[in-house]
Amino acid sequence: MLAGTSMLALVGVSAPAIAQERVAPVEIFTTTESYDPIRYEGAFIIAEAWRELGLDVSVRPMEFSTLLDRFYSEQDFDATILGWSGRVDRLDPQFFLGTLDSRQAELGANNPGGYDNPDYDALYDAQGAEFDIEARRDLVHEMQDVYMGDVPVVVLFHRDEVVAYNNTQFTNMNAMAGEGLYSEWVPMEAEPVGDRTTLRIGGPQEPDNINPLASTSVWGWKWMRMYYDRLVRLSPDVEPVPWAAERVDPVDDVTIEVTLREGMTFHDGEPLTAEDIAFTFNYYMDSEYSYFNSYLAPIESVEVTGDRTVRFNLSEPSAPFATITLSQIPILPAHIWSEIDNPQDLTPEQIPTVGSGPFAFERYDRGEFMSLTTNRDHFHADEISVDGVEFQIFADAEGVFTALQTGEIDMTAWRMEPGQIPLAEGNDDLTVVSVPDFGYFHMTYNLRREPFDDRAVRRALTMAMDRERMVNVLLDGRGEVGTTVVAPVNAYWHNPFVERFEYDMDAARAELEEAGYSWDSEGRLQR
Amino acid sequence: MTRRTYLIKRVIQAIFSLWIIATILFFLFRMGLPDPTAALITEGLNAEQRAAVRAQFGLEDPLWRQYVLFLTNAVQGEFGTSFSYRAPVSEIVWERLGNTMILMLAAIVLAYGIGVPLGAWLSWRRGSRTDTVGIFVGLMFRSAPMFWTGMIAILVFGVGLSIFPTSGMRTLPYDADGFLDKIFTLDFLWHAILPVLIVALYYLGSPLLIMRNTMLEVYGEDFIEMARAKGLPERDILYKHAARNALLPVVTQLAVTIGLAAGGQVVVEVVFSWPGLGREILNAVRTSDFPLAQASFLIMAAFVITLNLLVDILYTTLDPRVSFR
Repeated sequence: MLAGTSMLALVGVSAPAIAQERVAPVEIFTTTESYDPIRYEGAFIIAEAWRELGLDVSVRPMEFSTLLDRFYSEQDFDATILGWSGRVDRLDPQFFLGTLDSRQAELGANNPGGYDNPDYDALYDAQGAEFDIEARRDLVHEMQDVYMGDVPVVVLFHRDEVVAYNNTQFTNMNAMAGEGLYSEWVPMEAEPVGDRTTLRIGGPQEPDNINPLASTSVWGWKWMRMYYDRLVRLSPDVEPVPWAAERVDPVDDVTIEVTLREGMTFHDGEPLTAEDIAFTFNYYMDSEYSYFNSYLAPIESVEVTGDRTVRFNLSEPSAPFATITLSQIPILPAHIWSEIDNPQDLTPEQIPTVGSGPFAFERYDRGEFMSLTTNRDHFHADEISVDGVEFQIFADAEGVFTALQTGEIDMTAWRMEPGQIPLAEGNDDLTVVSVPDFGYFHMTYNLRREPFDDRAVRRALTMAMDRERMVNVLLDGRGEVGTTVVAPVNAYWHNPFVERFEYDMDAARAELEEAGYSWDSEGRLQR
Repeated sequence: MTRRTYLIKRVIQAIFSLWIIATILFFLFRMGLPDPTAALITEGLNAEQRAAVRAQFGLEDPLWRQYVLFLTNAVQGEFGTSFSYRAPVSEIVWERLGNTMILMLAAIVLAYGIGVPLGAWLSWRRGSRTDTVGIFVGLMFRSAPMFWTGMIAILVFGVGLSIFPTSGMRTLPYDADGFLDKIFTLDFLWHAILPVLIVALYYLGSPLLIMRNTMLEVYGEDFIEMARAKGLPERDILYKHAARNALLPVVTQLAVTIGLAAGGQVVVEVVFSWPGLGREILNAVRTSDFPLAQASFLIMAAFVITLNLLVDILYTTLDPRVSFR
């Protein structure tokens, strides 16, 4: 017995330098195949490469809302594949850069991976308060450089939005990054070449509701923004242009004065004044509707300073205020909404639809149809060739494409299915448009957990991802390999000179070795 | 047992089943489906903002209180407000149910109207080539998935020949003064033909085969022998004696089919973009719209239970051998 014990002790001592432990198994969370085959297949491509590095990996597809819950609300994951859609207001780098801010690492917020870098946070505050656009750009570029070396998140790829329109009916259809054809500009720019002067859009999605104080979906707002004006609109090149505002003048760092255009009216004929602007912002700030909260957060108060002038007092300098806040908040008529105390309780029949936009609301038949007529009294009306906009609601993308083929609709509101693209390309009546997206699919590592708490592991695992192959195989080449959270198509803000983590298994192994990892006799990663 | 006590007993049973189903639905959705505000995360809402939305939906209340509220409201035919549409659920459900039922009932009437006599006729010609072809066609449409037959129909008659519309139940936009005004139009008929035919062809197999097989059983009965011995014409034996006796299983099948029709044929509603209840249920479950999902499923259950009850009562008339014991 005694001899046996000492034998064991001896063996223990003679083991290689330090006893190494196997790296714990990891799980990749992704969507189900039926929800999104791309993210599902992508997870398996990554898992395969990681196994090659000796990691014990399993893929766990999950129902989408459950996946969101595990990722955001519970932060209970090792690594998760998800995406951010490229909404136009996210072209300003504020939102995407914020997803790596440590103050957003709490449960339910936008930094579930828990990246925590004081330098990065300081830069984030600095760029948010920087009014000089070039100085701000330098800060934004530096932020991308700072975080990339740590790879808390891997931007896998940007998928092109492939949409189509019928060229025998309309021309001058200019797709917009992140929006495709269903932007607010396409109906304003489209030129009819056939007999019909109403633009017919078709899509499988419809608004959740059209209550500007209850809708929480992109599809609600994509429709409503056509009949509500904003102070500023983002141009097709995504530059903020004064819209209902004639001028936006910063008085100082925290005070901004907006001068309205002259002679604007609502669709019911009532004049649009500075009172309406102040009312709208105050109404939103006092309401329980939280969809715009992040846009409204910098505002301390709004005051009417003249018939056509409004003054915004901010609590701190905010660079995105003029681009995002002013371009996203719709102008509501005070004479209608001031009489509504609980706007969230309005039934569909009670919801006011009076705006001042270039189009006026006509009808909305749930599940079937929506339409707008061109507002000939609008200051932009002379530029608009169509007499109205119609939206047909279909049950799925198949129905939309059939209607496009039969000429029942003129354009698709949402991307086509991969199988439909070659069919559309083969059809002379249809023009296929491919728009790069600045939204992205990402894999986020949980930095609170082993082995992802180790920077070297994250770097190695990122080098093991063949993202080029993912774009070619999964997206059929219709997309771009990801770099930073600010997409290359967002050229002004994107920093092209960051570490790129090209696919390189040898480099990945070297990175691991250098950090003290090794492989056991069966090739399993240990430390 | 008298007819009245039997009826009372059955009605109580039906109400009890409905209560059980309502309870299961309530808890199943809350435990099985994700938080209805989960989708708001991708819109950039933080935890606090989501909690505010949850409170608006009444989801922050204790579960038992939500349950009691749901039951008391359901008893009064009130199902609350849809989370995503922000509209009264009953309004949405009744409208959608109408759209679904008109499609399904038309298809069922067509399928049974043709299937029953055809099945009887095939049994009479049993073993012949007609019989073989009839069975083959019935089985074929019964086994062909409707999304496929539907898409082929759209491709051929909608896109290729352009004689029928490919989606919706009316040419858009349309104004209708209520449901009847919407459906009593040629435009509606034109839109309904393809989907109704697709569903009818799918349903045709059941009455056809059930009728044919039951008829064959009935032919072996003594009373048919008796009728033949009396020298009655074959046609009379077939339709007056045999067919009437073979109807019972078909009636059962019919009741079940109508009951389940409330749920619609989701596949057909999607393929033809028909604004029916099936499509709505799918959306409700997808977005965790609890009030809408609960109401839809409860109404479907009520349909099945009520029709089963009706059939049991109808049986006593159709077949005097079945009594209230």
